[in-house]
Amino acid sequence: MRRLTPFLALAIMAAMAGPVIGQEIVIGNLADITGGTGDVGKPYAEGIKAYTDYINANGGINGKKIKLLQQDYAYKIPEALSLYKKFKDQDKVLAIQGWGSGDTEALKEQVAKDQMPYWSASYSAHLTDPAKSPYNFFCAPDYSTGLRAGLKYLKDNWKEKRKPKVAFIYPDVGYGKAPIPAGKKYAAELGFDIVGEENVDLKAIEATTQLLNLKKADPDFAWIGGTKVSTSVILKDAKKLGLKTKFFGNIWSADEAMPKLAAGAEEGYLVVIGAALYGDKVPGMKAIEKVTNNQPQVSHWIRGWVSMMTMCEVLKTADKHKELTGPGIRKYAEQLKNFDTQGLTAPITYTPTDHRPFMSVILAEFQGGKMVKKATIELPRKPEWIGF
Amino acid sequence: MSVAHCGDFRQSYRDDMKVLETRFVRVSVGAFLVLLYIFPLLASNYLTSTMTTIGIAVIGALGINIVTGYTGQISLGQGAFMGVGAFACSYFMRIAHLPFWIAMPLAGLATAAVGMVFGLPSARLKGLYLAIATLAAQFILQYLFIHMDAVTGGSNGIQFPPPEIGSFVFDGDRSKYYLTITVAISAVLFTTNLMRSRDGRAFIAVRDHHLSAEIMGVHLFKYRLLSFSVSAFYAGIAGSLWGVYTGYISAEHFTLTESINYLAMIIIGGLGSVLGSIFGAVFMTLLPQFLTVGTGALAQIFPKIGFLIMSLKDGVFGIIVILFLIFEPDGLAHRWRLIKAYWKLYPFSY
Repeated sequence: MRRLTPFLALAIMAAMAGPVIGQEIVIGNLADITGGTGDVGKPYAEGIKAYTDYINANGGINGKKIKLLQQDYAYKIPEALSLYKKFKDQDKVLAIQGWGSGDTEALKEQVAKDQMPYWSASYSAHLTDPAKSPYNFFCAPDYSTGLRAGLKYLKDNWKEKRKPKVAFIYPDVGYGKAPIPAGKKYAAELGFDIVGEENVDLKAIEATTQLLNLKKADPDFAWIGGTKVSTSVILKDAKKLGLKTKFFGNIWSADEAMPKLAAGAEEGYLVVIGAALYGDKVPGMKAIEKVTNNQPQVSHWIRGWVSMMTMCEVLKTADKHKELTGPGIRKYAEQLKNFDTQGLTAPITYTPTDHRPFMSVILAEFQGGKMVKKATIELPRKPEWIGF
Repeated sequence: MSVAHCGDFRQSYRDDMKVLETRFVRVSVGAFLVLLYIFPLLASNYLTSTMTTIGIAVIGALGINIVTGYTGQISLGQGAFMGVGAFACSYFMRIAHLPFWIAMPLAGLATAAVGMVFGLPSARLKGLYLAIATLAAQFILQYLFIHMDAVTGGSNGIQFPPPEIGSFVFDGDRSKYYLTITVAISAVLFTTNLMRSRDGRAFIAVRDHHLSAEIMGVHLFKYRLLSFSVSAFYAGIAGSLWGVYTGYISAEHFTLTESINYLAMIIIGGLGSVLGSIFGAVFMTLLPQFLTVGTGALAQIFPKIGFLIMSLKDGVFGIIVILFLIFEPDGLAHRWRLIKAYWKLYPFSY
């Protein structure tokens, strides 16, 4: 019994946290380090951390240091919910850097009620409508915009007389399904024939059945809305089955590590990227190269960096006006106009009626094991696309 | 007095039916209940909401303990049954416009019906084979959660409207806590009494030796099915409360992991024990949170290896669970009995 008492005592002492210190701004970060999306979640969280260290070493928020509380919620919604409560009640965080779709959606109402500014890595388009999610922000093209840009690029480069045929492959989860209605509608508007729709699970280890179906429909293009593991499975199986389809995919569907996973099958794969690639000649890359000692990082890392950078910019303005509160941060975030991320992304603008950061989408293609930028597509900021 | 007899000296049926036998036990349980009800006034919202999740876990664990611990039928579908309850409750509230107080029991009944359907294989199967059959329940239900868009909102999930009494809305941490804890206490009471009834004893007979039970006149299939449906009823209630707690439900939560989590709760807490369900629920809710918070704090202290420390969490959790099973194979409830026995005779134990 005595040997086990410490265990019980430990379990009972659920949580302790220190009070907030005057000249510190406390920011919470719900990160996925060990969970289902940890492969991309970890670099993203590292990017957030790196920028926090960087700004703390360079003057902080008008002299105030940022205290970043990073917590791994392992992509589990209940853990995210309870950590959110801890952030809010015990750590008294001012704003949150979040992560996945499921948890961001689950917290959407709560953060609106608590007036907690929330920058997520879920780029679902319906987080861009302030009428429904007033405190949600992000710093990348939303999934629907990414898909539309891909379609537009493919249509612009379509040389044949007949209508191009397109199919959609996505996992049957919120993240995968989010941009599909928008994509289908826009594809029809652009004059695509939609010839197929298949579900490939995020944890799939083969996709032969789905691809055989597609082979019959013989699409010219197919969208992949998964994450990199399932994308590599699809690309490899497609190569094996001899599909002539050109694949294009979502922002999370591939990164610099793809050639290792797909072993050559990724050649020609077109992917939406939300930020500059490591080593690009843009002003903002210098700081990144310095803090990483020239060790290349994946694009998710850079997006984490930019997300924190944007948040810090808003914090600076809010602090200057002595309105370092949830509503204050929202107010000044919505006044952010063409914020220059030093070339790491397109300039970021939020307004009280539109939380889409920008409408320009960079498309990259895998060529010889490298990600090569192909085009930047600028879409119109159509009001009817908000939240869709 | 607070002294228990050293033997069975009960003289009336009333004596025989007492749950709390001595005054000391009555007073301490009473004090504990009072403490539960004033807890939110003393603790932070975070601790209060953690207690709410424990309350929900207690109800779910009691449910699975009825079918697995008491009746001996392994069920791997508790997580999915909770989902049925949550989606059903939300559906009754949004579409049929029923108040939560009617929708929750209805959701429980709906889940009980579903549980009964998936309990049908228990007529022919037992042990591991039955476990695999209930595993099918988990997958079939998960498929339905994603594809019955009208009821479940598909893979996007769906809002869960907060319960109301008149103009009072249960949307704060405290009100949710009081709701959950009240239901959890009722569930504990009901289970304790159920196990002292004819039906409860029949469950135990089925578990201990099904042939003897049948010879004694216990209808095996009936009681197995009953136990599945009662268990699913608890899951349905727990699921409804989960919906209240989060305000938003999606299929992503009600997975096999959740089912196994519940199974682990009762194994760690103690199979076939009400107290074990409570201990297991507390343990399995607090330990991961403690590890998350602990590794997060450690990562703060050692920023260089912060991510590495955070990654250790799952491993440490696994090790603790394994150690527990090695040193505490009969569950926390057994340890609790030993502690009680130790203090009963203190300091003159023999």
